[in-house]
Amino acid sequence: MINIAVSSQKGGVGKTTVSINLAHAFARAGVRTLLVDADPQGSVGLSLTRQSRLLAGFYDFLKDPSTPLERLIVPTRLETFALVASGQASDYEAGGGIGAHLSRVRDFLHAVAGRGYDLCIMDTAAGLFGVTGDVVSSSDAIMILQQAEPLGIRSVPKLLEGLNRMRVMNPRLSILGVCLTMVQHDLIESTEAAAALRQLLPPEMVFQTQIPRNPLFVRASARGLPIGAMEEGAAVQAVFDRLRVEIEDKLQPGDARRV
Amino acid sequence: MELIDPWLDTAEVRRLAELLMKPSRHPVGALPEAGFEAGFLGYTTTEPAVVAEESQAATPAPAEETVTQADPEPLPSAARSPFLDIIHHFRDWMREHFSAKEMFILDRQGEVIYDESHHGRLHFLARSLALAPRRPGSFAGYVHIKIRAGATLEVIPVETPNGYLILGAVVPGALSPAAVTAVMEAMILVAGAQTPVRPIGQPV
Repeated sequence: MINIAVSSQKGGVGKTTVSINLAHAFARAGVRTLLVDADPQGSVGLSLTRQSRLLAGFYDFLKDPSTPLERLIVPTRLETFALVASGQASDYEAGGGIGAHLSRVRDFLHAVAGRGYDLCIMDTAAGLFGVTGDVVSSSDAIMILQQAEPLGIRSVPKLLEGLNRMRVMNPRLSILGVCLTMVQHDLIESTEAAAALRQLLPPEMVFQTQIPRNPLFVRASARGLPIGAMEEGAAVQAVFDRLRVEIEDKLQPGDARRV
Repeated sequence: MELIDPWLDTAEVRRLAELLMKPSRHPVGALPEAGFEAGFLGYTTTEPAVVAEESQAATPAPAEETVTQADPEPLPSAARSPFLDIIHHFRDWMREHFSAKEMFILDRQGEVIYDESHHGRLHFLARSLALAPRRPGSFAGYVHIKIRAGATLEVIPVETPNGYLILGAVVPGALSPAAVTAVMEAMILVAGAQTPVRPIGQPV
């Protein structure tokens, strides 16, 4: 199994939207995928299940590692797609330094691997500290989301410093790259910010695929569905299919991590 | 690039990015614990052997736990110098105010200036974190990492007039920013090797 942390320096860049739809794209392609909501805000659960306020989840496992994984996994209509909500203990020591929850995060991932999943995508809280730091320190790879707007681009140095520090904690961490989100083609500041990021970073560090700002995301969220499950979602789903293929290409062929 | 040039050192950002994109030197599964050797004892919720030994020694008289700790490793020229006295004073201050149980000081190259932790693997981590690539002129922030139940490693890099020092201290819980500032100020005094030892101020 490979586990990928979806992370960002700033909040509100679309991590949950990307995590849900990317996980769905992998699952549609036949990859047995578990989407884990490691963000205490619980947005994955709120987006996809009406019972999210009742579900035990990731933070319940951190609080009590004897919690059986079976109690946490929520199946979906798609056989290859399941999720784990953030749970009812989301405020469980969510802050703090790196390492505080590391062994439990790893216990969780070992348990997930034991269930036969090919891929675990972890939607994390913004920043690279606390539980998110422990998730990244336990992950095979990280994908960073960056909103296409000037302020976000200016925070890139801080992001890179944080990632370099993560690399010390987890030398095997593979940097899949930065994916631009909320790109607005009708807004010059947005397209310029996207272009600036591509100029700033090495080409291999920026995904070719970028996620547009699209009202369909709001509609999908309102209906509690991934965008690919909506009748009118085919065009946007194709974006996530391209992102999936890019990720597969970035994972080394022949590597155990290859999905 | 007008959008970002005035705000960023683009060459430096590029350098940091290219460092990150270098393939990992460690194949998947080669490291049982990130960044450490196979025998690393930290990051577990059970007490490691090192701590167990300490606990046994301290069982008859827990209040004297700090007294029973191992003596510092022999230091080269500083071993019998006033500088060592100053470091001991600093160590005692760390114990008194922050309940530090283990402590070491490294220089920029990772050479051990002082060590009462006997835990070389923590040296590796502390030095790596303190020297992790960052922008020139930017401050190497302190880091706290829980290494086992009830033990947090504080890594506090300090630029002193006498050079760059990295303090590693194992404390029961993460220090507050104000406490870290107090430690950094104390470290600058230590690096100045002022004699007689100037009393170190109370933590803020």
